[in-house]
Amino acid sequence: MEPEKTVITNVSSDLRLGEVQISQEVELVSIDLPDDQAEPLFERGFLPGCRLCPIRSSPSGDPIVDVDGSQVALRREVANCLCVRTLSDL
Amino acid sequence: MTEHFEENLEDTANVPLIALAGAPNSGKTTLFNRLTGLRQKVANYPGVTVEKHIGELRSDDQVLANLVDLPGIHGFSARTLDEKITKDVLEGDVAGMKQPDAVVMITDSTRLESQLMLVEQVLELNLPTLLVLNMADELENRGGSVNAEALAERLGIPVVWTNGRTGEGTEAIIGYISKLKGKNSIPSKSDDQLKGSIHSHKLPVLERFSERKKTVKEVVSDADFIPPEPSAVSGYLDSLVLHKIWGPMIFFAVVVFVFQSIFTWAVPLMEGIEFLIETSGIWISEALPDTWFKSLLIDGIWAGVGSVVVFLPQILILFLFIGILEDSGYMARAAVIADRVMYRIGLQGKAFLPLLSGYACAVPAILSARTIEDDRDRLATIFVTPFMTCSARLPVYVLLIAAFIPNEPFMGTFLNQRAGVLILLYALGIAAAIVTAFILKRTLLKAEPSAFLMELPPYRLPSLQTLGLRLLDRGRIFLSRVGKIIFTVTIILWALTQFPRTEFGPPEIEQSALGQIGHVIEPAIEPLGFDWRIGIGLITSLAAREVIVGTLGTIYGMETADEQSLDLQGALQESVSFPAAIGLLIFFAFALQCMATVATVRRETGGWKWASFQFFYMLVLGYSGAFLAFRIF
Repeated sequence: MEPEKTVITNVSSDLRLGEVQISQEVELVSIDLPDDQAEPLFERGFLPGCRLCPIRSSPSGDPIVDVDGSQVALRREVANCLCVRTLSDL
Repeated sequence: MTEHFEENLEDTANVPLIALAGAPNSGKTTLFNRLTGLRQKVANYPGVTVEKHIGELRSDDQVLANLVDLPGIHGFSARTLDEKITKDVLEGDVAGMKQPDAVVMITDSTRLESQLMLVEQVLELNLPTLLVLNMADELENRGGSVNAEALAERLGIPVVWTNGRTGEGTEAIIGYISKLKGKNSIPSKSDDQLKGSIHSHKLPVLERFSERKKTVKEVVSDADFIPPEPSAVSGYLDSLVLHKIWGPMIFFAVVVFVFQSIFTWAVPLMEGIEFLIETSGIWISEALPDTWFKSLLIDGIWAGVGSVVVFLPQILILFLFIGILEDSGYMARAAVIADRVMYRIGLQGKAFLPLLSGYACAVPAILSARTIEDDRDRLATIFVTPFMTCSARLPVYVLLIAAFIPNEPFMGTFLNQRAGVLILLYALGIAAAIVTAFILKRTLLKAEPSAFLMELPPYRLPSLQTLGLRLLDRGRIFLSRVGKIIFTVTIILWALTQFPRTEFGPPEIEQSALGQIGHVIEPAIEPLGFDWRIGIGLITSLAAREVIVGTLGTIYGMETADEQSLDLQGALQESVSFPAAIGLLIFFAFALQCMATVATVRRETGGWKWASFQFFYMLVLGYSGAFLAFRIF
């Protein structure tokens, strides 16, 4: 087991939504996608500062995320474009 | 009732027009159906294929308003036709339609926070708006709440509670609308309504949404919104339906069940309809004198239109299940499960529904591709859908297989050779679809992978009324779309068999105009081992694939012929070689022998470009396949 402390020294925005464990609430920092591709995400509330929480994965391992009380399924390629930080970093 | 209503629509131009807007799965259509009942009609918006649902709201036999049920959307970015139309309607930019006098904005109150993003965008339009908090019972049951008065005050618009499924609260909506009418003129935009509007249209897209989000956060906190606990039932169902192992198994079980129902439950109904058409044809032909008119009516119209009506039970059963799957929330999960596989071949999860529907009929299947937001994904889906083995191919397959494939065991007693060939033909269609989609998405429709997003609504019991009205709609659309084309094509084909006239009346089929066309194309199909008779069949099957069965029956001089007819099978065995018959099967697996589909693709893609490309692509594939089969076997 790696010591937990190293996490704190990480640059927080290196964490991608695709890597977040199920049930761990995170905050969205930025979306690494061109605006026209990101707009559907904006419309559904994926905006910097919002809370996201992966609730389960699909059979193929793509995340299903809670955002503002709605459940949205994303492809992991997209989830890996969402930079997030854990709430403990705040 | 419908005609009466349509007359009325013209007279009621001075009645307010109310738009029902909301996100998908907010219960909008259920409420629309509650408010209008059967007094609604479906048309298309000018120039596009988005369906326009308009209905009358009546109270004490008075028409209070016309309601238009807008497509469910997430925003106004106008990426999809649905979004563009919703925006245009609300802004009064649709030809022949006035700007709505008010908007009834329907939200799923259990997901209020995310739905308020759309509410904000609607409020920016500055139309009088009523906010409907739907699914009130569910919010309460799951321990959520919101102060509707505070919400109304904060947003500056009236707010009402409803329960779409039970109909509770619809009076409040009617009350709001009747007050609009009572005032005779629509109240002008008040400062209150302007308050919702931020002058954000000029901002870059991220800032614009961030502004809205900030407002939403404030609204939610001012209105004391307590989000409901996650639905335990939905959570439990999802842990099964999206389970690593159970999920795909349930998915396959559902697909097999839908398949099974199309092919077994529909059969008695289809046979019943077939019987009715045949007997009524015989009655009519006995009652009428022997004239050209009788021949047109019986051999042309009755047989042609009958060949379409026969598919109605299948279409309706298919749409009943699709309706249940969609309204219950399973379809969204199915799209998520299918997405990975679809993505690999260049499509996406939402293509699953059109492809499944394609096994009944490509026409409604192509219409259902509308939910695909990404244009290229949608085009690719439309392009490959006709490769799915639709039910019109089945009679052709059955006839040729029965005539040419021995009824002997294959792979032990497990499978019969005939069944094996049938399965191969289905697989051939799937393979062609996969390869075609794969190539398309790497060439003509090349693009960055779209950000596939699928909202998973809570599971809900479908409403019977909404299911029933949807079936009525689908049935009507299928009959009018497909019926019109087949009607026209069968009349033309019938006429071609009647000329040039001889002194005894209509010519022998070989001498008729149609027979001559058969001879003209014979050189083109000779390399496939087909003669002029099959040529005629190929032409007539452009109306609908299974028409070739009847045509061949006529050409070989059968009084009545269907795919089980032993005489027809014998005649075919004598004039068509085994390799040519295999070629013909492959031709039908690939070629787009269906003018109704071509016409639908033309409408859905907005021009002839894709429709003709698809037609010729599939024709070339069918021709080459048949050619190869003829050489190999």
